[in-house]
Amino acid sequence: MMHRSHAVKILGAALLALMFGCSAVSQTPSVPPKHPENLPQGRVDCLECHENVSTGALKPYATFRHSRVFINSHGTYARQSQNLCTSCHAPAFCQTCHAGKEELKPNVKMGDRPDRMAPHRGDYLVTHQIDGRLDPGSCYRCHGNKSDSRCKQCHR
Amino acid sequence: MGRPTARVASGKALLPAILAISLLLPLLIAGTALAADLSLSSKTYGLAYEREMAGGQKNRYAPLYEYLSTDATNLGGKPLSFHFYGWGRVDLDTDSGSGSTSGEVGSLYMEYLHPQGNAQAKLGRFFLTEGAAMEMLDGAFVKATTPVGLGVSLYGGIPVEYSILNNTSGGDSLFGGRVFFVRPGFVEIGASYLKENGSFQEGKDRELVGGDLWLRVAPPVELTARATYNQSVSEMASQRYAVRIVPGATFDISAGYESYTYKGLFQPALNPAFVSPSVDTDDKVQTIFGIVDWAFVPGWTLEVAGKNIRHDKSDPGDANRGEVGVRYTYNDKKDVAGLSAAFVSADQAENEYQEYRGFASYSPSKLRLTLDALTQQYKQEINGKKNQYQVVATAGYQLLAALHLSGNLTYTQSPNFQEDLAGLIRVTYDFAMSTGGKK
Repeated sequence: MMHRSHAVKILGAALLALMFGCSAVSQTPSVPPKHPENLPQGRVDCLECHENVSTGALKPYATFRHSRVFINSHGTYARQSQNLCTSCHAPAFCQTCHAGKEELKPNVKMGDRPDRMAPHRGDYLVTHQIDGRLDPGSCYRCHGNKSDSRCKQCHR
Repeated sequence: MGRPTARVASGKALLPAILAISLLLPLLIAGTALAADLSLSSKTYGLAYEREMAGGQKNRYAPLYEYLSTDATNLGGKPLSFHFYGWGRVDLDTDSGSGSTSGEVGSLYMEYLHPQGNAQAKLGRFFLTEGAAMEMLDGAFVKATTPVGLGVSLYGGIPVEYSILNNTSGGDSLFGGRVFFVRPGFVEIGASYLKENGSFQEGKDRELVGGDLWLRVAPPVELTARATYNQSVSEMASQRYAVRIVPGATFDISAGYESYTYKGLFQPALNPAFVSPSVDTDDKVQTIFGIVDWAFVPGWTLEVAGKNIRHDKSDPGDANRGEVGVRYTYNDKKDVAGLSAAFVSADQAENEYQEYRGFASYSPSKLRLTLDALTQQYKQEINGKKNQYQVVATAGYQLLAALHLSGNLTYTQSPNFQEDLAGLIRVTYDFAMSTGGKK
Protein backbone atom coordinates (compact mmCIF):
# COMPACT_ATOMS: atom_id res chain seq x y z
CA MET A 1 0.00 0.00 0.00
CA MET A 2 1.38 3.38 -0.92
CA HIS A 3 2.14 5.67 2.01
CA ARG A 4 0.29 8.99 2.05
CA SER A 5 3.51 11.00 2.40
CA HIS A 6 4.83 9.44 -0.76
CA ALA A 7 1.65 10.21 -2.62
CA VAL A 8 2.00 13.86 -1.58
CA LYS A 9 5.61 13.89 -2.74
CA ILE A 10 4.64 12.41 -6.10
CA LEU A 11 1.80 14.89 -6.53
CA GLY A 12 4.08 17.78 -5.66
CA ALA A 13 6.70 16.52 -8.04
CA ALA A 14 4.14 16.19 -10.81
CA LEU A 15 2.96 19.76 -10.24
CA LEU A 16 6.54 20.99 -10.32
CA ALA A 17 7.13 19.13 -13.55
CA LEU A 18 3.93 20.56 -15.01
CA MET A 19 5.21 24.05 -14.23
CA PHE A 20 8.39 23.17 -16.06
CA GLY A 21 6.38 21.91 -18.98
CA CYS A 22 4.26 25.04 -19.26
CA SER A 23 6.76 27.79 -18.67
CA ALA A 24 10.33 26.79 -19.17
CA VAL A 25 10.62 24.10 -21.80
CA SER A 26 13.49 24.20 -24.25
CA GLN A 27 12.56 25.36 -27.75
CA THR A 28 14.48 22.46 -29.31
CA PRO A 29 12.10 20.28 -31.31
CA SER A 30 11.25 17.02 -29.55
CA VAL A 31 11.83 13.56 -30.92
CA PRO A 32 8.77 12.81 -33.05
CA PRO A 33 6.37 10.34 -31.44
CA LYS A 34 6.64 8.16 -34.52
CA HIS A 35 9.33 7.97 -37.16
CA PRO A 36 7.81 9.59 -40.27
CA GLU A 37 9.04 6.92 -42.68
CA ASN A 38 8.51 3.18 -42.64
CA LEU A 39 11.72 1.53 -41.52
CA PRO A 40 13.22 -1.52 -43.20
CA GLN A 41 13.69 -4.83 -41.43
CA GLY A 42 17.06 -5.47 -39.82
CA ARG A 43 19.72 -3.32 -38.20
CA VAL A 44 19.18 0.33 -39.01
CA ASP A 45 21.80 2.96 -39.65
CA CYS A 46 20.42 6.47 -39.07
CA LEU A 47 23.33 7.87 -41.12
CA GLU A 48 21.77 6.50 -44.30
CA CYS A 49 19.32 9.42 -44.17
CA HIS A 50 20.43 11.73 -41.33
CA GLU A 51 23.50 13.86 -40.68
CA ASN A 52 25.10 15.46 -37.67
CA VAL A 53 23.17 15.78 -34.41
CA SER A 54 19.58 14.76 -33.78
CA THR A 55 17.58 17.84 -32.81
CA GLY A 56 15.43 15.72 -30.57
CA ALA A 57 17.84 13.28 -28.97
CA LEU A 58 20.66 15.88 -28.87
CA LYS A 59 23.25 13.23 -29.76
CA PRO A 60 24.90 12.50 -33.12
CA TYR A 61 23.02 10.09 -35.33
CA ALA A 62 26.20 8.02 -35.57
CA THR A 63 25.71 7.15 -31.90
CA PHE A 64 22.51 5.29 -32.73
CA ARG A 65 23.90 3.17 -35.55
CA HIS A 66 22.56 -0.26 -34.56
CA SER A 67 25.89 -2.04 -34.64
CA ARG A 68 26.88 -4.87 -32.33
CA VAL A 69 28.54 -2.22 -30.13
CA PHE A 70 25.31 -0.22 -29.82
CA ILE A 71 23.18 -3.29 -29.18
CA ASN A 72 25.48 -4.38 -26.33
CA SER A 73 25.29 -0.96 -24.68
CA HIS A 74 21.77 0.14 -25.64
CA GLY A 75 20.76 0.29 -21.97
CA THR A 76 23.16 3.18 -21.39
CA TYR A 77 21.44 5.25 -24.09
CA ALA A 78 17.93 4.17 -23.08
CA ARG A 79 18.51 5.42 -19.54
CA GLN A 80 19.09 8.93 -20.90
CA SER A 81 16.61 9.18 -23.75
CA GLN A 82 14.04 6.41 -23.86
CA ASN A 83 11.73 8.54 -25.98
CA LEU A 84 14.18 8.29 -28.87
CA CYS A 85 13.88 4.49 -28.71
CA THR A 86 10.09 4.68 -28.72
CA SER A 87 10.06 6.90 -31.78
CA CYS A 88 10.92 3.83 -33.87
CA HIS A 89 10.14 0.96 -31.48
CA ALA A 90 6.72 0.39 -29.93
CA PRO A 91 6.72 -0.48 -26.20
CA ALA A 92 6.14 -4.09 -27.21
CA PHE A 93 9.59 -4.16 -28.83
CA CYS A 94 11.41 -3.49 -25.53
CA GLN A 95 9.16 -5.90 -23.68
CA THR A 96 9.93 -8.75 -26.03
CA CYS A 97 12.92 -9.21 -23.68
CA HIS A 98 12.35 -6.81 -20.76
CA ALA A 99 9.15 -8.43 -19.57
CA GLY A 100 7.50 -9.04 -16.26
CA LYS A 101 6.88 -12.78 -16.27
CA GLU A 102 7.59 -13.77 -19.83
CA GLU A 103 7.37 -17.48 -20.64
CA LEU A 104 8.41 -17.68 -24.28
CA LYS A 105 12.08 -17.07 -24.92
CA PRO A 106 12.75 -14.18 -27.33
CA ASN A 107 14.45 -16.49 -29.82
CA VAL A 108 11.37 -18.75 -29.87
CA LYS A 109 9.05 -15.82 -30.57
CA MET A 110 11.46 -14.58 -33.23
CA GLY A 111 12.41 -17.98 -34.61
CA ASP A 112 12.00 -16.66 -38.15
CA ARG A 113 14.48 -13.85 -37.43
CA PRO A 114 17.80 -15.63 -36.77
CA ASP A 115 19.57 -12.35 -37.59
CA ARG A 116 18.26 -10.77 -34.39
CA MET A 117 20.43 -10.85 -31.26
CA ALA A 118 17.87 -12.77 -29.26
CA PRO A 119 19.25 -14.18 -26.01
CA HIS A 120 18.96 -17.76 -24.74
CA ARG A 121 19.38 -19.74 -27.96
CA GLY A 122 19.56 -23.52 -27.80
CA ASP A 123 18.54 -25.36 -24.64
CA TYR A 124 19.47 -22.45 -22.43
CA LEU A 125 18.40 -24.32 -19.30
CA VAL A 126 21.78 -26.02 -19.65
CA THR A 127 23.94 -23.03 -20.54
CA HIS A 128 22.41 -20.72 -17.95
CA GLN A 129 24.09 -22.78 -15.25
CA ILE A 130 27.48 -21.63 -16.58
CA ASP A 131 26.59 -18.08 -17.63
CA GLY A 132 24.75 -17.61 -14.34
CA ARG A 133 27.75 -18.66 -12.29
CA LEU A 134 30.16 -16.45 -14.21
CA ASP A 135 28.05 -13.32 -14.73
CA PRO A 136 24.82 -13.42 -12.70
CA GLY A 137 24.45 -9.65 -13.05
CA SER A 138 23.54 -10.11 -16.71
CA CYS A 139 20.74 -12.51 -15.65
CA TYR A 140 19.58 -10.28 -12.80
CA ARG A 141 18.57 -7.37 -15.01
CA CYS A 142 15.64 -9.34 -16.42
CA HIS A 143 15.12 -12.16 -13.91
CA GLY A 144 15.98 -10.59 -10.55
CA ASN A 145 12.58 -9.37 -9.54
CA LYS A 146 10.49 -10.06 -12.60
CA SER A 147 10.44 -13.76 -12.79
CA ASP A 148 8.82 -16.86 -14.15
CA SER A 149 7.64 -19.27 -11.51
CA ARG A 150 9.42 -22.02 -13.45
CA CYS A 151 12.67 -20.67 -11.96
CA LYS A 152 11.40 -21.88 -8.61
CA GLN A 153 11.35 -25.49 -9.74
CA CYS A 154 15.11 -25.51 -9.08
CA HIS A 155 15.87 -22.24 -7.28
CA ARG A 156 14.12 -22.76 -3.97
CA MET B 1 -0.47 -4.02 8.37
CA GLY B 2 0.40 -6.87 6.06
CA ARG B 3 1.71 -5.92 2.69
CA PRO B 4 0.15 -7.25 -0.50
CA THR B 5 1.96 -10.35 -1.64
CA ALA B 6 0.50 -10.90 -5.07
CA ARG B 7 0.42 -8.52 -7.98
CA VAL B 8 -0.15 -11.19 -10.57
CA ALA B 9 -3.38 -10.83 -12.42
CA SER B 10 -5.30 -14.00 -13.13
CA GLY B 11 -4.26 -15.49 -16.42
CA LYS B 12 -7.76 -16.81 -16.91
CA ALA B 13 -9.13 -13.29 -17.06
CA LEU B 14 -6.34 -11.89 -19.19
CA LEU B 15 -6.67 -13.82 -22.42
CA PRO B 16 -10.32 -12.91 -23.04
CA ALA B 17 -9.54 -9.33 -22.05
CA ILE B 18 -6.65 -9.14 -24.49
CA LEU B 19 -8.74 -10.65 -27.26
CA ALA B 20 -11.60 -8.25 -26.50
CA ILE B 21 -9.29 -5.24 -26.60
CA SER B 22 -7.77 -6.45 -29.86
CA LEU B 23 -11.18 -6.60 -31.47
CA LEU B 24 -12.84 -3.58 -29.95
CA LEU B 25 -10.17 -0.93 -29.60
CA PRO B 26 -9.52 -0.31 -33.30
CA LEU B 27 -13.24 -0.10 -33.91
CA LEU B 28 -13.78 2.29 -31.03
CA ILE B 29 -10.93 4.57 -31.98
CA ALA B 30 -11.54 4.46 -35.69
CA GLY B 31 -15.25 4.88 -35.17
CA THR B 32 -14.88 8.04 -33.16
CA ALA B 33 -12.14 9.37 -35.43
CA LEU B 34 -9.99 10.09 -32.42
CA ALA B 35 -6.80 8.65 -33.78
CA ALA B 36 -4.85 9.92 -36.73
CA ASP B 37 -2.29 7.11 -36.44
CA LEU B 38 -3.26 3.69 -35.25
CA SER B 39 -1.32 0.46 -35.29
CA LEU B 40 -2.36 -2.93 -34.04
CA SER B 41 -0.17 -5.99 -33.87
CA SER B 42 -1.42 -9.44 -32.98
CA LYS B 43 0.92 -12.39 -32.77
CA THR B 44 -0.56 -15.79 -32.10
CA TYR B 45 1.78 -18.69 -31.30
CA GLY B 46 0.60 -22.26 -31.20
CA LEU B 47 3.30 -24.58 -29.87
CA ALA B 48 3.40 -28.35 -29.78
CA TYR B 49 6.23 -30.33 -28.28
CA GLU B 50 6.99 -33.61 -26.62
CA ARG B 51 9.75 -34.06 -24.12
CA GLU B 52 11.37 -37.21 -22.89
CA MET B 53 12.31 -36.50 -19.33
CA ALA B 54 14.91 -38.23 -17.20
CA GLY B 55 13.56 -41.68 -16.40
CA GLY B 56 11.95 -42.10 -19.80
CA GLN B 57 8.67 -40.30 -19.08
CA LYS B 58 7.23 -38.47 -22.09
CA ASN B 59 5.08 -35.37 -21.74
CA ARG B 60 3.16 -33.57 -24.48
CA TYR B 61 2.53 -29.84 -24.38
CA ALA B 62 0.39 -27.57 -26.56
CA PRO B 63 0.32 -24.01 -25.22
CA LEU B 64 -1.45 -21.31 -27.21
CA TYR B 65 -0.16 -17.75 -26.79
CA GLU B 66 -1.66 -14.46 -27.92
CA TYR B 67 0.49 -11.31 -27.87
CA LEU B 68 -1.27 -8.07 -28.60
CA SER B 69 -0.01 -4.52 -28.88
CA THR B 70 -1.85 -1.37 -29.87
CA ASP B 71 -0.43 2.10 -30.32
CA ALA B 72 -2.64 5.06 -31.11
CA THR B 73 -0.80 8.36 -31.58
CA ASN B 74 -1.83 11.89 -32.48
CA LEU B 75 -5.12 11.36 -30.66
CA GLY B 76 -7.59 14.04 -31.61
CA GLY B 77 -4.84 15.83 -33.51
CA LYS B 78 -2.96 16.45 -30.26
CA PRO B 79 0.42 15.05 -29.11
CA LEU B 80 -1.36 12.42 -27.08
CA SER B 81 -0.96 8.70 -27.49
CA PHE B 82 -2.27 5.45 -26.05
CA HIS B 83 -0.23 2.26 -25.77
CA PHE B 84 -1.18 -1.28 -24.84
CA TYR B 85 0.85 -4.50 -24.77
CA GLY B 86 -0.13 -7.78 -23.19
CA TRP B 87 -0.13 -11.52 -23.62
CA GLY B 88 -2.04 -14.57 -22.48
CA ARG B 89 -1.56 -18.33 -22.55
CA VAL B 90 -3.96 -21.27 -22.57
CA ASP B 91 -2.67 -24.85 -22.43
CA LEU B 92 -4.42 -27.35 -24.68
CA ASP B 93 -2.53 -30.33 -23.19
CA THR B 94 -0.21 -30.83 -20.19
CA ASP B 95 0.37 -27.64 -18.19
CA SER B 96 3.44 -25.93 -19.65
CA GLY B 97 3.84 -23.43 -16.82
CA SER B 98 2.37 -22.81 -13.41
CA GLY B 99 -1.25 -23.70 -14.18
CA SER B 100 -3.03 -24.10 -17.47
CA THR B 101 -3.37 -20.37 -18.09
CA SER B 102 -1.23 -17.32 -17.60
CA GLY B 103 -0.84 -13.80 -18.87
CA GLU B 104 0.28 -10.29 -18.22
CA VAL B 105 -0.47 -6.71 -19.12
CA GLY B 106 2.97 -5.27 -19.89
CA SER B 107 1.95 -1.74 -20.88
CA LEU B 108 -1.25 0.24 -20.63
CA TYR B 109 -0.68 3.97 -20.57
CA MET B 110 -1.44 7.39 -21.97
CA GLU B 111 1.42 9.62 -23.02
CA TYR B 112 1.77 13.32 -23.75
CA LEU B 113 4.75 14.35 -25.87
CA HIS B 114 5.29 18.09 -25.93
CA PRO B 115 6.47 19.26 -29.39
CA GLN B 116 9.50 20.96 -27.84
CA GLY B 117 12.21 20.17 -25.34
CA ASN B 118 11.42 16.45 -25.21
CA ALA B 119 8.91 17.24 -22.49
CA GLN B 120 6.67 14.27 -21.82
CA ALA B 121 4.27 12.74 -19.35
CA LYS B 122 3.06 9.16 -18.95
CA LEU B 123 0.25 7.79 -16.88
CA GLY B 124 -0.59 4.12 -16.45
CA ARG B 125 1.55 0.96 -16.62
CA PHE B 126 4.81 1.40 -18.51
CA PHE B 127 8.40 0.20 -18.77
CA LEU B 128 10.72 2.96 -17.58
CA THR B 129 14.44 3.42 -18.16
CA GLU B 130 15.61 6.66 -16.58
CA GLY B 131 18.91 7.05 -14.76
CA ALA B 132 19.08 4.45 -12.00
CA ALA B 133 15.61 3.14 -12.87
CA MET B 134 14.78 0.20 -15.09
CA GLU B 135 11.31 -0.65 -13.85
CA MET B 136 7.79 -1.66 -14.74
CA LEU B 137 5.59 0.81 -12.95
CA ASP B 138 1.91 1.53 -12.36
CA GLY B 139 2.18 5.26 -11.97
CA ALA B 140 3.21 8.55 -13.53
CA PHE B 141 6.32 9.93 -15.20
CA VAL B 142 7.12 13.50 -16.26
CA LYS B 143 10.22 14.93 -17.90
CA ALA B 144 11.24 18.29 -19.35
CA THR B 145 14.35 20.18 -20.43
CA THR B 146 14.78 23.93 -19.94
CA PRO B 147 16.24 26.33 -22.55
CA VAL B 148 19.64 26.32 -20.79
CA GLY B 149 19.86 22.55 -21.01
CA LEU B 150 18.99 21.71 -17.43
CA GLY B 151 16.27 19.15 -17.12
CA VAL B 152 14.36 17.12 -14.61
CA SER B 153 12.36 13.92 -14.62
CA LEU B 154 10.15 12.55 -11.87
CA TYR B 155 8.21 9.35 -11.45
CA GLY B 156 6.23 7.53 -8.84
CA GLY B 157 3.77 4.71 -8.38
CA ILE B 158 3.49 1.05 -7.52
CA PRO B 159 6.19 -1.29 -8.89
CA VAL B 160 5.03 -4.23 -11.00
CA GLU B 161 7.05 -7.11 -9.61
CA TYR B 162 6.68 -10.84 -9.29
CA SER B 163 8.22 -12.54 -6.30
CA ILE B 164 9.02 -16.23 -6.14
CA LEU B 165 11.15 -15.78 -3.03
CA ASN B 166 9.59 -17.11 0.14
CA ASN B 167 8.68 -14.46 2.72
CA THR B 168 9.64 -11.59 0.43
CA SER B 169 7.15 -9.77 -1.75
CA GLY B 170 7.53 -6.85 -4.11
CA GLY B 171 7.76 -3.24 -3.04
CA ASP B 172 4.79 -1.17 -1.91
CA SER B 173 5.66 2.02 -3.71
CA LEU B 174 8.44 3.43 -5.82
CA PHE B 175 9.41 6.99 -6.63
CA GLY B 176 12.44 8.84 -7.90
CA GLY B 177 13.80 11.26 -10.41
CA ARG B 178 16.75 12.53 -12.33
CA VAL B 179 18.27 15.96 -12.86
CA PHE B 180 20.45 16.38 -15.89
CA PHE B 181 22.29 18.82 -18.06
CA VAL B 182 22.51 18.41 -21.81
CA ARG B 183 24.46 20.34 -24.41
CA PRO B 184 23.47 19.13 -27.89
CA GLY B 185 26.07 16.96 -29.57
CA PHE B 186 28.56 17.35 -26.75
CA VAL B 187 27.45 16.13 -23.32
CA GLU B 188 24.62 14.78 -21.24
CA ILE B 189 25.25 14.27 -17.54
CA GLY B 190 22.70 13.19 -14.98
CA ALA B 191 22.21 12.37 -11.31
CA SER B 192 19.33 10.21 -10.20
CA TYR B 193 17.62 8.89 -7.11
CA LEU B 194 15.25 5.96 -6.62
CA LYS B 195 13.45 4.77 -3.51
CA GLU B 196 11.34 1.65 -3.32
CA ASN B 197 9.55 0.99 -0.08
CA GLY B 198 9.51 -2.66 0.76
CA SER B 199 11.14 -5.34 2.82
CA PHE B 200 13.97 -6.70 0.71
CA GLN B 201 17.21 -8.37 1.83
CA GLU B 202 18.09 -7.51 5.43
CA GLY B 203 14.51 -6.22 5.78
CA LYS B 204 15.40 -2.94 4.10
CA ASP B 205 13.93 -0.67 1.43
CA ARG B 206 15.70 -0.21 -1.90
CA GLU B 207 17.37 3.19 -2.12
CA LEU B 208 19.64 3.98 -5.07
CA VAL B 209 21.70 7.00 -6.02
CA GLY B 210 22.94 7.01 -9.60
CA GLY B 211 25.02 8.98 -12.05
CA ASP B 212 25.25 8.82 -15.84
CA LEU B 213 27.37 10.50 -18.49
CA TRP B 214 27.56 10.68 -22.26
CA LEU B 215 30.46 12.83 -23.48
CA ARG B 216 31.63 13.34 -27.05
CA VAL B 217 35.26 14.30 -26.55
CA ALA B 218 35.92 14.52 -30.31
CA PRO B 219 33.65 13.84 -33.31
CA PRO B 220 34.37 10.09 -33.52
CA VAL B 221 35.06 9.45 -29.81
CA GLU B 222 32.51 9.25 -27.03
CA LEU B 223 32.71 8.27 -23.39
CA THR B 224 29.82 6.76 -21.47
CA ALA B 225 29.54 6.07 -17.78
CA ARG B 226 26.87 5.00 -15.37
CA ALA B 227 27.13 4.07 -11.71
CA THR B 228 24.62 3.19 -9.02
CA TYR B 229 25.17 3.21 -5.29
CA ASN B 230 22.83 1.20 -3.07
CA GLN B 231 22.32 3.38 -0.04
CA SER B 232 20.23 0.76 1.76
CA VAL B 233 23.22 -1.54 2.20
CA SER B 234 25.94 1.14 1.79
CA GLU B 235 27.43 -0.68 -1.18
CA MET B 236 28.26 0.25 -4.76
CA ALA B 237 25.69 -1.66 -6.80
CA SER B 238 27.06 -1.39 -10.34
CA GLN B 239 29.41 0.65 -12.53
CA ARG B 240 30.03 0.74 -16.27
CA TYR B 241 32.55 2.93 -18.10
CA ALA B 242 33.22 2.70 -21.83
CA VAL B 243 34.98 4.50 -24.63
CA ARG B 244 33.50 4.15 -28.10
CA ILE B 245 34.94 5.24 -31.44
CA VAL B 246 32.58 5.57 -34.40
CA PRO B 247 34.59 7.15 -37.22
CA GLY B 248 31.97 6.50 -39.88
CA ALA B 249 29.20 4.25 -41.04
CA THR B 250 31.38 1.15 -41.36
CA PHE B 251 33.43 0.87 -38.19
CA ASP B 252 32.47 0.87 -34.53
CA ILE B 253 34.73 -0.12 -31.64
CA SER B 254 34.23 0.02 -27.90
CA ALA B 255 36.15 -1.00 -24.79
CA GLY B 256 35.40 -0.59 -21.14
CA TYR B 257 35.15 -1.72 -17.57
CA GLU B 258 32.12 -2.97 -15.69
CA SER B 259 31.69 -4.12 -12.10
CA TYR B 260 28.97 -4.98 -9.62
CA THR B 261 28.71 -6.34 -6.11
CA TYR B 262 26.25 -9.08 -5.30
CA LYS B 263 25.31 -7.36 -2.06
CA GLY B 264 24.60 -4.02 -3.73
CA LEU B 265 22.99 -5.19 -6.97
CA PHE B 266 21.01 -8.19 -5.71
CA GLN B 267 19.69 -6.58 -2.49
CA PRO B 268 16.14 -6.14 -3.86
CA ALA B 269 16.09 -9.60 -5.53
CA LEU B 270 12.80 -11.47 -5.48
CA ASN B 271 14.24 -14.60 -7.11
CA PRO B 272 16.01 -17.13 -4.87
CA ALA B 273 18.71 -17.61 -7.53
CA PHE B 274 20.23 -14.26 -6.48
CA VAL B 275 20.25 -14.61 -2.71
CA SER B 276 22.13 -16.75 -0.24
CA PRO B 277 22.67 -19.71 -0.25
CA SER B 278 22.40 -19.81 -4.08
CA VAL B 279 25.12 -17.15 -4.33
CA ASP B 280 27.82 -15.85 -2.03
CA THR B 281 26.63 -12.30 -1.43
CA ASP B 282 30.16 -11.16 -0.57
CA ASP B 283 31.31 -11.73 -4.16
CA LYS B 284 32.11 -8.98 -6.64
CA VAL B 285 32.44 -9.18 -10.42
CA GLN B 286 34.80 -7.02 -12.48
CA THR B 287 34.76 -7.21 -16.27
CA ILE B 288 36.98 -5.71 -18.94
CA PHE B 289 35.37 -5.88 -22.37
CA GLY B 290 35.99 -4.96 -25.98
CA ILE B 291 33.73 -5.11 -29.06
CA VAL B 292 34.40 -4.43 -32.75
CA ASP B 293 31.82 -4.14 -35.52
CA TRP B 294 33.42 -3.63 -38.93
CA ALA B 295 31.57 -3.60 -42.28
CA PHE B 296 34.75 -4.41 -44.21
CA VAL B 297 33.04 -4.59 -47.61
CA PRO B 298 29.45 -3.67 -48.51
CA GLY B 299 27.13 -6.36 -47.17
CA TRP B 300 29.78 -8.09 -45.04
CA THR B 301 30.26 -7.35 -41.33
CA LEU B 302 32.88 -8.75 -38.97
CA GLU B 303 32.03 -8.86 -35.28
CA VAL B 304 34.62 -9.58 -32.60
CA ALA B 305 33.94 -9.44 -28.87
CA GLY B 306 35.90 -10.42 -25.80
CA LYS B 307 35.69 -10.01 -22.08
CA ASN B 308 37.65 -10.95 -19.02
CA ILE B 309 35.46 -11.72 -15.99
CA ARG B 310 37.06 -11.65 -12.55
CA HIS B 311 35.42 -12.70 -9.30
CA ASP B 312 36.59 -11.85 -5.81
CA LYS B 313 35.74 -15.41 -4.81
CA SER B 314 37.61 -18.45 -6.12
CA ASP B 315 34.25 -20.19 -6.57
CA PRO B 316 33.13 -19.60 -9.32
CA GLY B 317 36.55 -18.17 -10.24
CA ASP B 318 37.60 -16.13 -13.25
CA ALA B 319 36.87 -16.62 -16.95
CA ASN B 320 37.51 -15.27 -20.44
CA ARG B 321 34.92 -15.21 -23.19
CA GLY B 322 35.80 -14.61 -26.83
CA GLU B 323 33.54 -14.46 -29.84
CA VAL B 324 34.06 -13.92 -33.55
CA GLY B 325 31.40 -13.82 -36.23
CA VAL B 326 30.73 -12.72 -39.77
CA ARG B 327 27.40 -11.64 -41.23
CA TYR B 328 26.40 -11.25 -44.85
CA THR B 329 23.36 -9.14 -45.75
CA TYR B 330 21.79 -9.66 -49.17
CA ASN B 331 18.55 -9.58 -51.17
CA ASP B 332 18.07 -5.83 -50.66
CA LYS B 333 18.79 -6.26 -46.91
CA LYS B 334 15.85 -8.64 -46.50
CA ASP B 335 18.10 -11.59 -45.77
CA VAL B 336 21.10 -12.25 -43.56
CA ALA B 337 23.45 -15.21 -43.21
CA GLY B 338 25.95 -15.56 -40.42
CA LEU B 339 28.60 -17.77 -38.86
CA SER B 340 29.96 -17.37 -35.34
CA ALA B 341 32.20 -19.13 -32.85
CA ALA B 342 32.52 -18.43 -29.14
CA PHE B 343 34.61 -19.91 -26.36
CA VAL B 344 34.69 -19.61 -22.60
CA SER B 345 37.90 -20.54 -20.79
CA ALA B 346 37.69 -20.54 -17.02
CA ASP B 347 39.49 -21.33 -13.80
CA GLN B 348 37.02 -24.12 -13.18
CA ALA B 349 36.44 -26.79 -15.81
CA GLU B 350 32.68 -26.83 -15.17
CA ASN B 351 32.50 -23.29 -16.58
CA GLU B 352 34.26 -23.95 -19.88
CA TYR B 353 32.46 -24.43 -23.20
CA GLN B 354 32.58 -23.64 -26.89
CA GLU B 355 29.70 -22.59 -29.12
CA TYR B 356 29.36 -22.63 -32.91
CA ARG B 357 26.39 -21.23 -34.81
CA GLY B 358 25.33 -20.76 -38.41
CA PHE B 359 22.14 -19.26 -39.82
CA ALA B 360 20.68 -18.04 -43.09
CA SER B 361 17.42 -16.75 -44.49
CA TYR B 362 15.98 -16.78 -48.00
CA SER B 363 13.07 -14.51 -48.89
CA PRO B 364 11.95 -14.72 -52.49
CA SER B 365 8.77 -12.71 -52.94
CA LYS B 366 6.17 -13.62 -50.28
CA LEU B 367 7.95 -16.75 -49.08
CA ARG B 368 10.52 -16.71 -46.29
CA LEU B 369 12.69 -19.65 -45.25
CA THR B 370 15.26 -19.69 -42.45
CA LEU B 371 17.67 -22.21 -40.99
CA ASP B 372 19.53 -21.80 -37.70
CA ALA B 373 21.92 -24.41 -36.27
CA LEU B 374 23.80 -24.25 -32.97
CA THR B 375 26.06 -26.60 -31.05
CA GLN B 376 27.78 -26.29 -27.69
CA GLN B 377 30.62 -28.44 -26.38
CA TYR B 378 31.19 -28.53 -22.61
CA LYS B 379 34.53 -29.37 -21.08
CA GLN B 380 32.86 -31.21 -18.21
CA GLU B 381 29.84 -33.45 -18.49
CA ILE B 382 26.45 -32.03 -17.55
CA ASN B 383 23.90 -34.73 -16.72
CA GLY B 384 26.25 -37.24 -18.40
CA LYS B 385 26.60 -35.31 -21.68
CA LYS B 386 29.30 -33.00 -23.03
CA ASN B 387 27.38 -31.36 -25.88
CA GLN B 388 24.07 -30.07 -27.18
CA TYR B 389 22.70 -29.57 -30.71
CA GLN B 390 19.77 -27.55 -31.91
CA VAL B 391 18.43 -26.93 -35.41
CA VAL B 392 15.55 -24.53 -36.09
CA ALA B 393 13.95 -24.47 -39.54
CA THR B 394 11.17 -22.03 -40.38
CA ALA B 395 8.92 -21.37 -43.34
CA GLY B 396 6.59 -18.41 -43.71
CA TYR B 397 4.26 -16.86 -46.25
CA GLN B 398 2.80 -13.36 -46.52
CA LEU B 399 -0.86 -14.22 -47.08
CA LEU B 400 -2.09 -10.62 -47.12
CA ALA B 401 -0.38 -7.27 -46.72
CA ALA B 402 -1.12 -7.38 -43.00
CA LEU B 403 -1.24 -11.14 -42.44
CA HIS B 404 1.77 -13.43 -42.22
CA LEU B 405 1.74 -17.15 -41.46
CA SER B 406 4.87 -19.06 -40.49
CA GLY B 407 5.99 -22.17 -38.70
CA ASN B 408 9.07 -23.40 -36.84
CA LEU B 409 10.37 -26.92 -36.44
CA THR B 410 13.01 -27.30 -33.72
CA TYR B 411 15.08 -30.38 -32.95
CA THR B 412 17.22 -30.43 -29.81
CA GLN B 413 19.55 -32.90 -28.15
CA SER B 414 20.96 -31.67 -24.87
CA PRO B 415 21.97 -32.72 -21.37
CA ASN B 416 18.39 -31.98 -20.29
CA PHE B 417 16.57 -33.72 -23.11
CA GLN B 418 17.38 -36.98 -24.78
CA GLU B 419 15.40 -35.69 -27.74
CA ASP B 420 13.16 -32.67 -28.01
CA LEU B 421 11.07 -32.07 -31.12
CA ALA B 422 9.01 -28.89 -31.08
CA GLY B 423 6.66 -27.31 -33.58
CA LEU B 424 5.35 -23.78 -33.62
CA ILE B 425 2.75 -22.04 -35.76
CA ARG B 426 2.92 -18.25 -35.82
CA VAL B 427 0.15 -16.00 -37.14
CA THR B 428 1.09 -12.34 -37.29
CA TYR B 429 -1.39 -9.60 -38.05
CA ASP B 430 -0.02 -6.06 -38.37
CA PHE B 431 -2.57 -3.39 -39.07
CA ALA B 432 -1.65 0.27 -39.41
CA MET B 433 -3.53 3.40 -40.37
CA SER B 434 -0.58 5.73 -40.21
CA THR B 435 2.19 7.48 -42.05
CA GLY B 436 5.09 5.91 -40.21
CA GLY B 437 6.24 2.51 -39.15
CA LYS B 438 7.07 0.79 -35.90
CA LYS B 439 9.48 -2.07 -36.01
